[in-house]
Amino acid sequence: MSIMEYNGAAVVAMVGKNCVAIASDTRLGQQAMTIDTNFQKVFPVTDKTMIGMAGLATDVLTLRDRFRYKVNMYKLKEERTIEPQTFAHMVSAALYEKRFGPYFIEPVIAGMDKRNQPFICSMDTIGCINFAKDFVVAGNAGGGLYGMCESLWEPDLEPEDLFETISQALLNAVDRNALSGWGAVVHIITPDQVITRQLKSRMLDWADPTVKDKAVRYTRL
Amino acid sequence: MDARIDLNNIGFDFDLTKRNAGLEANGATAPKATKTGTTIVGLLFKDGLVLGADTRATEGPIVADKNCEKIHYIAPNMYCCGAGTAADTEFTTNMISSQMELHRMSTGRESRVVTAMTLLKQYLFRHQGHISAALVLGGFDVTGPHLYTIYPHGSTDKLPYVTMGSGSLAAMSIFESRWRSDMERQEAIDLVKDAIEAGIFNDLGSGSNVDVCVIEKGKVDYLRNYARPNERAQKEQSYKFPRGTTAVLKTSIRDLVQVTEDTAMDIST
Amino acid sequence: MLSEIVAQYTSEPTGYGAELTPGNFLARDAAKQFDSLSFDLPNAENPIDFLNTYTDVKSDNDNLIKLAHGTTTLAFKYAGGVVVAVDSRATQGSVIASQSVKKVIEINPYLLGTMAGGAADCFFWERELGRRCRLYELRNKERISVAAASKLLANMVYSYKGMGLSMGTMVSGWDKTGPNLFYVDNDGTRLKGNLFSVGSGATFAYGVLDTGYDHEMNKADAIDLGKRSIYHATHRDAYSGGYVRIYHINKEGWEFISLTDVDELHWQYADESRNRGA
Repeated sequence: MSIMEYNGAAVVAMVGKNCVAIASDTRLGQQAMTIDTNFQKVFPVTDKTMIGMAGLATDVLTLRDRFRYKVNMYKLKEERTIEPQTFAHMVSAALYEKRFGPYFIEPVIAGMDKRNQPFICSMDTIGCINFAKDFVVAGNAGGGLYGMCESLWEPDLEPEDLFETISQALLNAVDRNALSGWGAVVHIITPDQVITRQLKSRMLDWADPTVKDKAVRYTRL
Repeated sequence: MDARIDLNNIGFDFDLTKRNAGLEANGATAPKATKTGTTIVGLLFKDGLVLGADTRATEGPIVADKNCEKIHYIAPNMYCCGAGTAADTEFTTNMISSQMELHRMSTGRESRVVTAMTLLKQYLFRHQGHISAALVLGGFDVTGPHLYTIYPHGSTDKLPYVTMGSGSLAAMSIFESRWRSDMERQEAIDLVKDAIEAGIFNDLGSGSNVDVCVIEKGKVDYLRNYARPNERAQKEQSYKFPRGTTAVLKTSIRDLVQVTEDTAMDIST
Repeated sequence: MLSEIVAQYTSEPTGYGAELTPGNFLARDAAKQFDSLSFDLPNAENPIDFLNTYTDVKSDNDNLIKLAHGTTTLAFKYAGGVVVAVDSRATQGSVIASQSVKKVIEINPYLLGTMAGGAADCFFWERELGRRCRLYELRNKERISVAAASKLLANMVYSYKGMGLSMGTMVSGWDKTGPNLFYVDNDGTRLKGNLFSVGSGATFAYGVLDTGYDHEMNKADAIDLGKRSIYHATHRDAYSGGYVRIYHINKEGWEFISLTDVDELHWQYADESRNRGA
């Protein structure tokens, strides 16, 4: 069993025309057993930057908090908001510091920079950054997501078209993966809006009374 | 506030190694890091040297990045190709680059290639091969052009033409048959391009495009994607989904721009 | 006349390995028909270890042959007969190989078998069981009892014990004694019982099944219970999913009831739950 498959996750980000999208599934499992179907893996960093993390859930939560601390310290020291590119290098350095005892997460970062240029990137577990102009993926459904993205993605998609493309790529990939799925959340970041949508997928947990509030709650880093 | 970096606290953090060893002892396996199954080369020509690299990064059998940069900046007169674990080559060259810049500021002189080479080999030797960076370092300094290969354990070579990475054999076959001393600039670029393409086509770990960097006295030409022999064909059809295809349970919109309604100010008077 | 025909088709002296020619086709020993089948075994000191090297599902080795695994199946007896319910997902590692596998094997009009474990093993041995049950019927001019059929299966797999067969099955049906249900697995275990669930999602299915079970319930409720049990197992168990397939058995034999997408059930139960709350 790979540690990266212990909890299960699928995260993807895509570039559109003056917008970016980042999406993830919401399953949390302990190997085969589904524990939670409303586990958030994508977190806001700034108004226009978000980070998604796939991998070991304990590290996802630890790093979410560490990055929130780092981003807050950056803001206090620099008196400005961190740019997505800068944040990516901050994440990368935090991961490489643990080169010989890594956190088991693969991050995906998506955001709009101060000139409102789209930015996405992904990393491996020790912080090697993969800058991409089209899409990046992470998690167990990786192979399937790559396949979906390679077929569905095209340049210059408007926010609403980008939403359909990233949603269909994610949903169809997780439907072929036993360890991810059970609900999905998509965030579209444009220069003046962040649109968050909870998708209707196979088997997300309607029985969870907090499902409505939790899915869209804006957890600030 | 003290803005300086705490020099006693630099380096790797081994906090999680015990936890991770525990996880592995319980049957879990650690994930693979991104590798640059790579073809990187360098050669000397009449007026300087040429570095070359492919642009594929892999994670196991998956191509993680189809157009990554493997020729790293060290100094204005010096570049370095990296093969091995991508994060290691990236961070190692970055760190040396930073040290070279500080060294220049301190001495006020142009960096020498041998300095970078020594810093690199000492750093890699200190880590006993655990930092898997295989490098081709090239630069033009006050003593002329220099080309080095540096292995993960810290050994180095100084040769007129070199190749490294999983595609090194394919690339070397080109160099061995066609390299001559005192080649012209364009000849040298073409030879490097052919060597990298040999790696791209014959080594599965290498692929996509050719990056070239020509370093001469007082002049550097970084030719990013000098050749693109694997251009993807235009898609014949679009898979664009009609809007409304995806079923949405809930939408929430957060406006970043405040639109305030007010009567327009009369400026006519 | 009939016995001649039976003899004609049932005298394979050495099992599947022998060549079928018109000559030896007629001159077979009918008594040999219950011999164990003989497969070629790997020419290794320990065929079991040899097989495990290549097919052990618990291992991380990428080169292994990944057997299709992961299932939830259940069957229970109640006043009106037997309900058999199964999911339809097949996985190879974490990849969902299929969402439309048929995990109920119709052995004959009065006998059903379920599949859990290795798909090929279940299918092959239960089909072989079907063949033997038919021969029994031709020879004895009456249907085989569920007890005898399940024992045939248990004996067959027992002869290959430890050689890597992977099979957890429930044999159910209706015979002279009424409804019957047996659990048979590759260890050679054979258990008679009222209620079984087999597979990776079995614990989840048991939870629902035990809570809702009542021997005196009516047919509709029994079918609904089977459906809900499988659905809840597919919700919690990543290796179960797809469709819920339901069969019902009474004295007329088995009857196919329904095939329902678990996603459809999911939203249907969601509405029910909301209406109850309102």
